[in-house]
Order: sequence, then structure tokens, then C-alpha cells
Amino acid sequence: MTQQQGIRIVTSSASSDIGIVELDMVGEKINKFNEAMLVRFKDVVEELKKSSYKAIIFTSKKNKIFVAGADIDEIKKLKTADEFNKAVSVGQNLFNAIEDLPMPTIAAISGACAGGGCEFVLACDYRIASDDKSTRIGLPETKLGIIPGFGGCVRLPRVVGLQAALDIILQGKLVDAKKAYKIGLIDSCVHQNILESFTLDFAKDIIKKGAKKRSKQFVANGLVNKFLESFVGRPIVFSQAKKGVLSATKGHYPAPIKAIEVISKTYDSSDRKNSMDIERNAFCEVAVTDISKNLIHVFDLTEMVKRQTGISKEAENKGAKAKPVTHIGILGAGTMGGGVAYVAADKGIDSRMKDLNHEALGRGLKHARDLWSKEVKKKRITAYDLEQKMSLVTGTTDFSGFKKMEVVVEAIVEDMEIKKKVIRQTAGEMKSEGIIVTNTSSLSVNEMESGHPNPQNFAGMHFFNPVHKMPLVEVIRGKSSSDETIATVFELAKKMGKMPVVVRDGPGFLVNRLLLPYLGEAAFLAEEGMKVETVDRAYTHDFGMPMGPFELMDEIGLDVCVKVLKIFKESFGDRIEMSKVLKNLDSSGRQGRKNLKGFYLYDESGKRGEVDQTCYEAFGLNSPSNPLSNQECIERGIFAMINECSLALYQDKIVDTPHEVDLAMIMGTGFPPFRGGLLKYADKVGIKYIVDQLKIYHSKGHNRMKPTDLLIKMSEIGKGFY
Amino acid sequence: MQIANLGLQSQNQKNSKDVVIVDGKRTPFAKAGAQLAKIHPAELGRHALKELISSLNLNTSEIDEVIVGNTGNPVDAVNISRVVALRAGIPQQTSAYTVHRNCASALESLSHGFEKIRSGSMNVIAAGGTENMSQMPVLLPDKFQNLFSKLFAAKGPGQALPLLWQLLKMDLKSIKALLTSNQKDEYFPVISVMKGLTDPFVGINMGQTAEILAKEFSISRKEQDEFALRSHQLAAKAASDKKLQDEISAYSIPTDYKLSMIEDSGPRANQSMEALTKLKPFFDKQTGTITAGNACPITDGAAMMMLMSREKAEALGYKPLAKIRGYGFAGLEPERMGLGPVYSTPVALKRSGLNMSDIGLVELNEAFAAQVLACQKAFDSDEFATKKLGLTQKVGELKSEILNVNGGAIAVGHPVGATGTRLVLTLAKEMKRRSVQFGLATLCIGGGQGGAMIIENEN
Repeated sequence: MTQQQGIRIVTSSASSDIGIVELDMVGEKINKFNEAMLVRFKDVVEELKKSSYKAIIFTSKKNKIFVAGADIDEIKKLKTADEFNKAVSVGQNLFNAIEDLPMPTIAAISGACAGGGCEFVLACDYRIASDDKSTRIGLPETKLGIIPGFGGCVRLPRVVGLQAALDIILQGKLVDAKKAYKIGLIDSCVHQNILESFTLDFAKDIIKKGAKKRSKQFVANGLVNKFLESFVGRPIVFSQAKKGVLSATKGHYPAPIKAIEVISKTYDSSDRKNSMDIERNAFCEVAVTDISKNLIHVFDLTEMVKRQTGISKEAENKGAKAKPVTHIGILGAGTMGGGVAYVAADKGIDSRMKDLNHEALGRGLKHARDLWSKEVKKKRITAYDLEQKMSLVTGTTDFSGFKKMEVVVEAIVEDMEIKKKVIRQTAGEMKSEGIIVTNTSSLSVNEMESGHPNPQNFAGMHFFNPVHKMPLVEVIRGKSSSDETIATVFELAKKMGKMPVVVRDGPGFLVNRLLLPYLGEAAFLAEEGMKVETVDRAYTHDFGMPMGPFELMDEIGLDVCVKVLKIFKESFGDRIEMSKVLKNLDSSGRQGRKNLKGFYLYDESGKRGEVDQTCYEAFGLNSPSNPLSNQECIERGIFAMINECSLALYQDKIVDTPHEVDLAMIMGTGFPPFRGGLLKYADKVGIKYIVDQLKIYHSKGHNRMKPTDLLIKMSEIGKGFY
Repeated sequence: MQIANLGLQSQNQKNSKDVVIVDGKRTPFAKAGAQLAKIHPAELGRHALKELISSLNLNTSEIDEVIVGNTGNPVDAVNISRVVALRAGIPQQTSAYTVHRNCASALESLSHGFEKIRSGSMNVIAAGGTENMSQMPVLLPDKFQNLFSKLFAAKGPGQALPLLWQLLKMDLKSIKALLTSNQKDEYFPVISVMKGLTDPFVGINMGQTAEILAKEFSISRKEQDEFALRSHQLAAKAASDKKLQDEISAYSIPTDYKLSMIEDSGPRANQSMEALTKLKPFFDKQTGTITAGNACPITDGAAMMMLMSREKAEALGYKPLAKIRGYGFAGLEPERMGLGPVYSTPVALKRSGLNMSDIGLVELNEAFAAQVLACQKAFDSDEFATKKLGLTQKVGELKSEILNVNGGAIAVGHPVGATGTRLVLTLAKEMKRRSVQFGLATLCIGGGQGGAMIIENEN
């Protein structure tokens, strides 16, 4: 096969006036715009220009994909602004040429139509889409730290108006066909089966009416919208949009701001060349940044998980694979148990919670219903969906239904002996091949497996709180866990819409092992006189964490932090030190949000307010004086994690690759994606610098900050994590 | 036509399959307007069916059909069985339909299941019933209906405004009717649960049919109240002995799930004759004896059962509760509908090849105490048997010791579309406890019918 066949022109059998361009990339399941496709497309457009067709229909021959977008692997190869400039020009010129074709053009969209794909259809005169669930149209570029560069910033606002366009571009959104129709992005939304015939009739109709070109111009409806679209109203829209982006990103993500700038300069302009130049130059500015490279790295990490099975290739070759899971059981209907039931049932998995009494079960059921009720209010699901989903969540005080379950998630009290006992009892109530996973956050999976009569059917499945928000699931491979068990749990996590990372057993597994030294360090910062709000703000505003360490400690529960740190201390010795703050925790009576008393003030509903200025005294500290720089605050916390990670990764082999660490930290703690992950950040800062700083902090009497031998060695031979 | 002429062939022929009740589950029953008032009957049915499936660990693809009895026909789920089935996770390919035989709808569903399995056309049927009497709607009178259809068709304010003016005037008339509580007024809203409890053929309320029986069978107010007291005491004892925990699946009530019902809310351990005596007759203020205390309350609840052919149950490794021997339905004068059990029982007995003396335990639905007591008298009367049933002798004595030993609908309640299954379920479980071989579940049916089912203990 040749690249020629990637895009074909065929004459419609219904009318020789209609040319159909079929996109069908050779050797791929999807269509995407790489260099070769764009070159071929250019020839196709030349040919069309010379043809006698009176209308052109663009369509995809791929299943559930129209055009997925530009080829990200090719974007990754580009380095300099010049290289980007050249690549972008190709796309811009191509789509300009499509726009300039003498005959009207119609895109018949079915399946994903994202990024470059969307920019392509925006250059067509008409867009018709199938209402199939797979149809998603939009511009996700800003999620990768870039902006639409093939004319998307210029054409989308013209088609759907400023507000809808900003909504899509700034958030990197894809919309379904119904929404696309509502905002005017497409002209018709029809059933998949009639997309072809409808589009042909549409084309014939256009030809009958004189085969005229059109350039869709958005017309605002209603006075307010008319005002906002107007010359006078526009600046308000732009400034509001900018404000919104800045407050959401704290200024760490330049791409959406760049997009606003481009749109504000080009909206309504009739000078296409100038507009395209503005867009292209802006694209090159953001595309060369580390931020974009890091975001693309994170995108790659998530794509990596989609391909993984959780087990080795050898194991796969031996035939190990995930067993289908349709029914799960959850032991314990508490915050975690209820959360697990919700996410599983949301994806159609029958979820049955077992607890000691109906009050506890009721709380679990309420947790799920409340979350779905919010979805109904936001019109993301219907009231019927809610009832159907709710029907999948049941509660029981006995083991009825457990013989049907493929997997049971244990989420009861963190007590090894109780857990072992319950696991043994539960295994006796399940079919012999049933799998039990523990959601423990601090106990040893290897030790716990002795509770299971068939420990090969036992593993850890560690969800993060709140379960419905945190994408990470640590799948803990115990010493006896079988490949089939791990593959099944890994696949189940994916089915639940989560990002699984397989980790080996060890105190805190991966994420908590790294996170706790960081939180512990924050407590030391307070002990040394730092204000809680100063430290939290440094981490959120300067570094980009979604939440500061003190806010996070309040969320997790201060008592839990102390408990886990104590467990760590037993395993890790001097690397773990406990600040006065945490030592005085018991006497302070503060547990964080759960008892509405922590570093912060809480109202009765548990909503966080300002820092509780009495907390310093409660923890036996002097009034804060902020003696340390923000930089030191950040470095001490982040470098503590990197230091610990060298051991977790290379000595204890909790995970195999730095990729998994970065994915886990982003998905499990909200580590800022624009930094590419903890270890990507470490490499960027330089291991040598980190070691030097750690040495300085160590020399100030912080024993725990002593750089590990592994890290020192890395700095000596100049090796990074990647 | 007399019952001797009904199709009385045996339902236990050589080529017919044994049909067993594997198990059943029900929701707790709650008085209308109380705990379950806001729960859709499909949701009640879902809970009973889903919990039944869970307790059996049954693969839902084994179920061949779902049959649910219901009388209220909620407008948003007219074939409620299908909604129950889908919500309970039964595969979409599995068919489901709703049956209606008033108070015996959930006995009708069991008999459908019985026939389909007996004939060999199906192996596994989930059958039962569900009812939310709290949700039976209040309807606008006909006059409003006409006006609304004109309004919906009105074009422009020119046509609509005069109609709206008319509506306003009708509203005022409606308010007047409500203020004077004149239910006969044509502007008074139709309370469908009351309408439903009125016989459409003779135009009298179910309570009035019981008044007729009380008088014809000389049943005193005291006898009725004593029977009602017995019902409460037995039901309360059954609850405190935790006897019903096995058939009731606790239900956490949406949408706040703060309250979990683990037992029926009706039975009152502290019910007293004194309290019962104080109540005023409800249907016949002057000479009546039927009160809210010696009649069953309107109730919300659902019950489901899993029926299987014996071979299938064995193949799946279940130990069934009971075998269905036979059932029978028969009709009588609508105004004496309370005697239905006396008409239907001999049919079921005949088809089961049994006599009344073989029956060791009976669940006879307590629509009204008067009606149960009248049935007892008629069961034991040769005269009634020859005159009314066309039999040569009485059906047989119905001893109080074996009648409704865990109380009945007067205490537990009567969610019309679900009761039939509740009776058979309670009966089967108690037969196990007492090691009784044959049991009878029977009820009277609004409109003038009776239904009966006879089951045999499985050892």
C-alpha cells in the first residue's frame, strides 16, 4: 500500500457532480495528520481544485475516528521555533487551500474529530456529524501546553462565537454531536446510519441551489450575547476569560492565555494571512516551552497505562490475562468503601457493600446518590441514569451475593489482625477463584495475604481519597499474587476509569511513602516559625500543587499522618523524624477536617476557611515569624520526596520506572502536570543541585535530609532519573 | 354456574414438571403515607428481586421470565415488571410482564409461573408483586380533562385566555367541593385509591362488602376486634422472635438513607381491646362494625419469589422451600367478595388431589376481620357448601390454631399487588419451621373472586 491510498478521491455513485474524499490512513486504526498525510492532502486539494466537482464531501473510513488530530510523536521531535513554524505553516496553508476550494465542501463527521481534525472541518463550508457516542469534536491543544495552530484559534470563534469558542479552546474540551449542534459548530446532527445518505442529499441540494461557497459567521442571539460579541463587549469577555484561567492555573499554564491573546487580536479580522501569522507565532512561542513538553510527557504516561495490562510480557505470553469483572463486593461502606462502590457502579459494575449495620450501609448508599444527584443537577446524567446507577449499588449485613463476585475490595478498619480474620471469612463465602484486594494504605500486603487461603488470589488495590476525584489506583503485587490476579485488578481499575500503577509491597507503597516525608517536612517548617498560609501558598502558587501540605494534612487526618509516620519510622529509622507539631498532636485534640479542627478553621459542613491562628499554640509552637524563604520551603519538601524516591525506585524497586513514579504522583497527589512529574522535575533541576541543597539542609542539623548514597552517586556520574 | 363445574383436572399429571419455590424475599411493609410513601413501586420490586437474586447467588441469565403483579399501574411504568426486571439487573433479552387480578395479582403471577414451568416451557421464573398505595394518584375530575385537552390544542392567547378563565372558575368550584368535603360533587378530585377500593359492578366499597358479611354471618364487633388484636399480637411476636428476618430484606430508604426498615411497621405489640373498641365504624356510621382497627391498612411493599422446575433447582444446587401442588381461582357475588377463599380453596384442593383435612397450615388474607371470620364459618358449613358451592359437603373446618399463625394483613398490611406472594412466602417458611406437609394460601379478591394456592413442604 502506498501513502496515496491514505486519502482517496472517489466520485459519488449518486452524482458525478459530487466528489468524496475518503481519509483512510495506511497501516493505522486511526486517521491523524502527520507529515506524510499533510503532503498527500495537499496533492488531493490541488486535484480537487482542478476537478469539475460541484461539491466535495470529506469522510473517514476508520471506525469511530474521523481525524484524531496531529501526530503527537511528530510534535515531540520538533525542537526549535523554526521547526515548529515550518510544520505549522504546512497545516495552515493546507487548510487555507481547502477553505479556498472553488466548490462548497462538506465534512461528514463520525467519531473523534479533535485538534487538527477539528481545525480541518472548520475550514470546510459545512459540517454534518453523526450523533453516535464516539463523535467528539473539539480542540484539546491547551491541555498539551500548545494552542490550536492550524487556524483553529481563528476559525472556531468565527463559527461558534467568542464565548463557546473560548470555552472549548481554554479548557481543551471536546463536545458531543448534540452540543456541537447546539453551539452551531455543526449544521446537522443525524443518526450514524443515515450520515452518508443525508450528506449526499445535502450536497445535491447545495448544488441545486447554485453550489455556492459560504463562510459561516456566528450571529449572537439575545441582547446580552449580542453585546458581548460586539466591539464594546468583547474586552469584557477576554478579561473575564483571562481572570478565570489565571485563577484556575495560578499562572502556571501559559497556553490558554496565549490563545486568548491570539483570539483577541484576530477575531473579526478579515486579513487571513495576518491572523494566521499571529496564531502561528504564538503557537511557536508556547510549543518550545518545557511546560508543553512536560504536558505531552504526561499525556504519553496516560497513554502508556491504556496499553499496559499490569503484568509482564512473558506472563501475557504464557496466557495470563484479566478475568472479566461484573460484580464486586466492598467490605466496609465508609468513605472509601462508599467511594469505590460509586465509581464501580458508575461504570456499570454491580457493587454490593457489606458492613456491620444498616446505618453504615445507608451512609455508603447516600454517598453514591449524592454524587450522582450532583451530576443530574449539572445535566451530565439524567434522573433515569441516576436510578439505574443507584440500582447497581446495594448493601448487606451478611454475605449474600458474595458467590457471584469476581472481586471483593476490603476497606475496613486499618488493623492487621481484624483484616486477616475478615479476609479469611470472606474468602470462605466466595467462589474459589474469587479475588480479594485490600484498600489498606499503611499495612503490609505481604503480611496480610496469610489471611487468604489462596494468597495467589490476593493483592492490594489502593484508592485515594476522595475516590471519585483521585484518578490513581496503586495495584499492590503481593509476594504470592498471581499474574491473573494482578491483570484482573489492573483491568478493573481501568474499567472504573482510574489510572492503575502496579507497585510492590513496602511501607506506604509508592505515593504515601513519598508524600509523608514531604508532609512531615512541612510540619518542621512550621516548627521553625513558618506561617501555615505562607508555606501552603508557596506550594500552591509558586510550585503549582493543587493543595498545600497543611491543607492536605487536614484532609488526610493529622492522626493518620502521625500513625503512618510512626510505621515508617519503624522501617526507615533515622530518615523519618517527627516534628514537635506532630508529637503534640494528641494533646492538641486536632485531627483535621474530620473533627473540624486542624491547621485550618472549618465550618459545620466541613468547609475549609482561614488558617486557625490558634493552631501554633495548640501544637506548642511560638508565634510564626516566617524566617525561611519560599524557595527553601519548597525545596525541602520536594527534595525530601526525591531523596526518598531514589530508594523506593532503585533500592526497594517499588516500581520499575520513573514513568510510573511521575504518573502516580500526578494522579495520586496532584503533583503539577506542567512540571512533568516529580522525577521529570528532578532531572530538570539537576540531581547535582538537589544533592548539594540536601547536603546544606542536612548540615543544618536535619538528619532526615541526608542525601541517599544512590542520589549522590547519580549526581557524581551525572545521571538523571530518565 | 357452580364451582363443581370449574375445570378441576389435576395439576399434578404424570407428564407435568414439579414446580418448586426456591426462595423468596420481600421488602418490609409500611402503612401508606409512611416510610415507603415516596418510593416508586418499581424500586420496591427491584429491591425484593435483587436481594432475592443475591441471597441465591443466582446468575441472572438463568431467569427465563419475570412476572410481577401490580394493581396501581403507575403511569410512568405501566408494565412495571419490565422496569423491576431491568433495574434488578435481569438481562435485557429476558421478557417481563405485569399481571393484574386485584388483591390476588401476586398470586396470579405465581400461578403463571407455575403453569409455564409445569408445562415445561420454562425453567426459572421470578414472580411476585409490588404496590405503592401511597402513590396512587389523585385525579382531576372529567370536567377538567375536557378543558385541558382544549387548552393543549389552543392556538394563541386568543383561544387560550377564555379557557384559562374557565379553568379559574372550575378551580373555585373544586375548592368549594373540597371545603364542604362533598365527594359526590362533580368538581371533587378523584382519589384513585378510594375509587379502586369501590366495586365497579355494584358500586359499593370493599368495607361495605365486609359489613354485609358481618351481618349475614352474625359476626359481632367484639369478635372482629378480638381477631384484630390476635393478628397484632401474633405479628408482633413473630417479629420479636425474628421469625420474619429470613423473608424480609432490610431496606435503607432513599434519598437520605438515614432510616433503614428491617421489619414491617404495622404490627403493634401494645395493641389493646380498649383502643380497638374506641374506634368508630368507618363505612357504616350507624349500624356498622368495620373500623380502621379491624380492617387491613392500605400499605406499600413488594415481594418476589424464584420458581424453578425441580430438575433446574437441583442442577443449580438449590434446596427448595416448597413445591407448588396447585392453585385455583373462582368467582362469586361482588358484594360478598370477602368469601372468595371459600370458593377458590376447593378448586385448588381438587386440583392438588387433597382434602381440607390434609392442610396443616393456612394463610388467609385478612382484608377485614369480619371477612376472615365469615370464611371460617362458611368453610365449616355443609349448608353453604351445598347451596353456594354446589358441593355435597362442607369444604372443611379451618382451625384457628393453624390460621395466620404469624398474624395477618390487619397488622402487617395489604399492599394489594404484592400480598399474594407474601402469603405464600410466609406460609412456606412457617411450614418449614413446623414441618407441616401441606399448606394453603388464599385470599379474597375485590370484584368478587377468590384465589388459593396449595404448597407442599420440601424435605
